[in-house]
Amino acid sequence: MTAIFGLVLVLSCLLATSIGPVKLDFLSVLKTLLGQSSGLSDQDRTLLLQIRLPRVALAALVGAALATSGAVYQTVFRNPLADPYLLGAAAGAGLGATLAITGSGKTFTAALPIFAFLGGVLAVLATFLVAGKFFSDPSSLLLSGIAVGSFATAIQTFLQQRNSQVLRPVYSWILGELTVADWQSVKWASIYIFLALAILIRISKLLDGLMLSDEEAFSLGISPNKIRMIAVGAATLATATAVSVSGLIGFVGIVVPHIIRGITKRATNRALLAISLSGAAFLVLADLGARTLISPAELPIGVITAFIGAPFFLFVLRAKRGGIQ
Amino acid sequence: MISVENLSINYGEKSVLSSVTLNIPSGTWTCIVGPNGAGKTTLLKALLGMHPYSGSIKVNGVEVFKDMSRNVAFVPQRPEIPLGMTVIEYLALGRSKLDGWGRERRRGRVLIQNTLEETQLVGLQSQLVTQLSGGELQRVLIARAIVQEPEVMLLDEPTSALDLHHQITTLNQVESLKNQGVTIVSTMHDITLGAMYAERMIVMHEGRVLLDGPASNVIHSNELKMAFDHGISVHTLEDGHTVIVANKTRSEII
Repeated sequence: MTAIFGLVLVLSCLLATSIGPVKLDFLSVLKTLLGQSSGLSDQDRTLLLQIRLPRVALAALVGAALATSGAVYQTVFRNPLADPYLLGAAAGAGLGATLAITGSGKTFTAALPIFAFLGGVLAVLATFLVAGKFFSDPSSLLLSGIAVGSFATAIQTFLQQRNSQVLRPVYSWILGELTVADWQSVKWASIYIFLALAILIRISKLLDGLMLSDEEAFSLGISPNKIRMIAVGAATLATATAVSVSGLIGFVGIVVPHIIRGITKRATNRALLAISLSGAAFLVLADLGARTLISPAELPIGVITAFIGAPFFLFVLRAKRGGIQ
Repeated sequence: MISVENLSINYGEKSVLSSVTLNIPSGTWTCIVGPNGAGKTTLLKALLGMHPYSGSIKVNGVEVFKDMSRNVAFVPQRPEIPLGMTVIEYLALGRSKLDGWGRERRRGRVLIQNTLEETQLVGLQSQLVTQLSGGELQRVLIARAIVQEPEVMLLDEPTSALDLHHQITTLNQVESLKNQGVTIVSTMHDITLGAMYAERMIVMHEGRVLLDGPASNVIHSNELKMAFDHGISVHTLEDGHTVIVANKTRSEII
């Protein structure tokens, strides 16, 4: 089953690298990517290898990171509506990005991903500090996440009000975008995201224990809070990295795990690899939509994912209220 | 042998267990009884060694706190029900301690199959745990504890969700484990049933142990009645069985 999701990802990537304002021949793209002579012009080759491919790679990385983190959060917090931004990572990264933009007055600065990354990580740490009890009381952790997130958003809004010239770049970053993707950002994002995903997939079997009560998990040989720490740490690393290179792309972390759980009929953490691959494919296709739907202009990718995600989110809420699992 | 000495546990300011001292011999069944809030479940969970405590809890001479090597099965009264997991996958979790998480070995597979038959769960293997009835879920929980092959089995109110027939079949299964040498500790509200199966009984009241001894002695003791504010009475039937029932006061009857 997982192989099918891998195949879908490969096909999505080929499709996304072929389609755009300039159409490239599907087979020629495949040949070029396999290192064979393909008959593409130098200009098309550059378009493929320096513009489209890094963007597709970044979309795949971010999609995998958000979907996997979402699935892990849902298991850790035993809450099917948990998402990767739950503990304040999004608001913290948003504040970090705003600081970078207001500090330089430019649309994008080299420091933006670093500021966003640090903002996301610091906000999650602040959430844990405010909650104090770590995982012994999940609801106070979630409430702390809301409080820290609101506080970060308030500072961000204040900064935006004081620097109205940056409203547009900040707003466009918040909606999420992959337009600045280059191999440099792919390289640094891939290091952290692959590391985080490797940890999460490695411990995915242990996450089974978190689906039981803590006493049962302990009697079966694991320390539930230690596993939660590792899982949330790795998921936060993946989320903060994703946010720092792509802005805030909503709903991937909720929609993809639920769809894949529905298809595979398996517990979320037992389908983690399938969820990673599908998250990657989902965002690659969403970005293809963002690039092509109103071509030559672009839609923010967050608009596309929210367009699919918001109705789905409401559906899950209604089903949950009706007692359907 | 489980030996507890001067065990105290507090939740914030509130003392839940206070200076508890007792011994539980290996291969016996000990039943913890007492009114709601007496500290029965807290004592049971303390024996797992998961939560901090003051005093000492030793299993076979080794302090339990953070000792992950012991194989102690825990059957909760209100388990978390995992979404999207089938009965067979759920039972396989019971092998995690011995075989490793996510690993499947031949011995585990055979044991799971035998346990499914013993606990009358054949036919439910592919069903989702979320779709089980209360009674079926309780049998699945016991079955998972059986495949864990534990040295000690802790059960929190194992019969509370079961009808009369399944109460007996479930307790018979636990008894056969005891006969294989597993040490059983359970909390039970039904003292009559507890006295039928357990050799030893511990009476708890407000976080303290009032009495610890052979079940046949404890059920006739004044301490048991004191624990329930003299709201129970003990009757011996013609066949020698003892029945413990709650007294109805005149005002309740009216």
